Amino acid sequence: MAQIAGAGDDPDAIARELQSTAAEPAAAVADPWEGFNRKMFAVNDSLDRNVMTPAAKGYRTVTHKKQRKGIRNFLANLRTPVIFVNDLLQGEVGRAGDTLGRFVINSTIGFGGMGDPAERIGIAQHSEDFGQTLAVWGVDSGPYLVLPFLGPSTMRDGFGAGVDIATNPAFWISTDPAMYYRFSTAGVGVLSAREPLIEPLDGIRADSLDYYASIRSFYLQSRKREITNGRTNYEDLPDIGDFEEFEELE
Amino acid sequence: MTIFSRRSLFAIAASGAMAFGLAAPAAADQAAEDFVQNILDEAAPKLQSGDQATMIAAVEALVDEYVDMRRVGRFVLGKYARQMTDAQAAEYYPLFRQYATMVYRNTLENYAGQSIVVTGSVDRAAYDIVVNSKIANPEPGDAFADAVIHWRVYRDKEGAMSIFDAGANEIWLAIEQQEQFTSIIANNGGGEAGINALIADMRTRVEAN
Repeated sequence: MAQIAGAGDDPDAIARELQSTAAEPAAAVADPWEGFNRKMFAVNDSLDRNVMTPAAKGYRTVTHKKQRKGIRNFLANLRTPVIFVNDLLQGEVGRAGDTLGRFVINSTIGFGGMGDPAERIGIAQHSEDFGQTLAVWGVDSGPYLVLPFLGPSTMRDGFGAGVDIATNPAFWISTDPAMYYRFSTAGVGVLSAREPLIEPLDGIRADSLDYYASIRSFYLQSRKREITNGRTNYEDLPDIGDFEEFEELE
Repeated sequence: MTIFSRRSLFAIAASGAMAFGLAAPAAADQAAEDFVQNILDEAAPKLQSGDQATMIAAVEALVDEYVDMRRVGRFVLGKYARQMTDAQAAEYYPLFRQYATMVYRNTLENYAGQSIVVTGSVDRAAYDIVVNSKIANPEPGDAFADAVIHWRVYRDKEGAMSIFDAGANEIWLAIEQQEQFTSIIANNGGGEAGINALIADMRTRVEAN
C-alpha cells in the first residue's frame, strides 16, 4: 500500500488518509467552450497587463513585505465565516474547529487579524469555498469557463463563488459604510492576491507556447488539490510509461 | 536537522501504518530522496553565482545530466506521440530539449539563493517516485514560504534515475506542457499538420530567446 506512505511526511495525514473521502477523479481537460473562453481570456489578459499588474506593482512599492503579509492575514481572517460554513457543509468537523479557533485567536491576540498567532501554535490555515463543497458533494465540475474579470473557473466553481458572496454577512447590509467596506476589501483583496504572482505569471507568459492552455492547466491542477484538501496520494498522476513503451528510445 | 526530525516522524508514522496491518514504504525511496537532495545541493551554489551567463551554463549542464529529455519530450506529446513521423521526431526532440531547458532555467531562477531540502517521498511504482521538498529557510512574509516542491523521479531497469517532472503544490510542469502541446496540435488540425505547427511555434520561441 505504497500510497499510504505518501502521507508519511506527516503522521496526522496518515490518520486522515485512512478515512479520507473520495477525491474527484482526474478527467481529461473539458473545454467545449474554448472559443468563447479564449476570447474572454484575451480580454482579461489585456486588462491584467494594462491595469492590474501596474496597480499590483504600485501596491508593492508602497508597502513592505511584512505589511503585505499582515494584509494577507487580515483578508484571510475576513473570509473565515465562508470557510467555516463550507467546512461544516463538507462534514469536516475537525477543520471547522480549526477555522473557528483561528478566527477567535487571530481576531483577538492577532491584532484584529493582521497577525497569525494561530499558525505559530500549530493551527494551519486552509481555504474552503462553496465550489469545493459542491465537488465534495459529488457535483461534476462542468466545463472550464473563463469569467469576465474574475478569470479561470468552471461552471460549478463560478456558481460556488456567487454563493460565497451571498454567504458573507456584509452582503446583506446596504448602508454606505458597509458598501465602502465591501468594495475596499475587494479592491485590496485583488491587489494583495495579484502581487505575489507578478513574476511567476510573467515567467509563464514569456515561456508558454499557449498561455491560455497553460493557465487553464494550472487552474485545473490547483483546483483538484484544493478540493482534496491536500490529501495527496499521487494516484491521479498520469503514468510516465513503463520500460517497454520506451524501448525504441534506448 | 529539519530532515532528521522529519525522518524520525516518518519512521514513527511507518510503524504506525504497520500497526494497522499495512506495508511499510519500500526502502527504494531513500535512494530517490538522496538522488534529489544531491542534485539540489549541487545546484544551490551554481544558482547563486552572480554572473548570468555562468548560471545559465550551469543550469543547462545540470538539466542535461539529470533530466531525461527524450522521455519527457515523448510524454508531453500525449496521444499525438504515436502520430509523429520520423522526420518530425528528428526535428522535435532536439528542439524540445532546448525549449525545456530554457523553461527549467527560467523557473529555477526564482529559487536562486534559497536552499531546498528533501522532506520525504512516495513510491507510485518501482520506476516512478515522487520526492517532496521544501524551502529550508524562507524569508518571513514570503507568500510562497509553505510551498511543497515536488520532483518526479524515473528509475530505469538498470536502476539509473532521472528527473521526469517538477512541480509545486501539486501543479506539475510536464503536465502543464502536455496540455499546452496537445492544445496547439489539436487547434492546428491534429496529426501531422498540428505537430508541424507545434514545432514551428517552439522554434520561434527558442530562437527569440
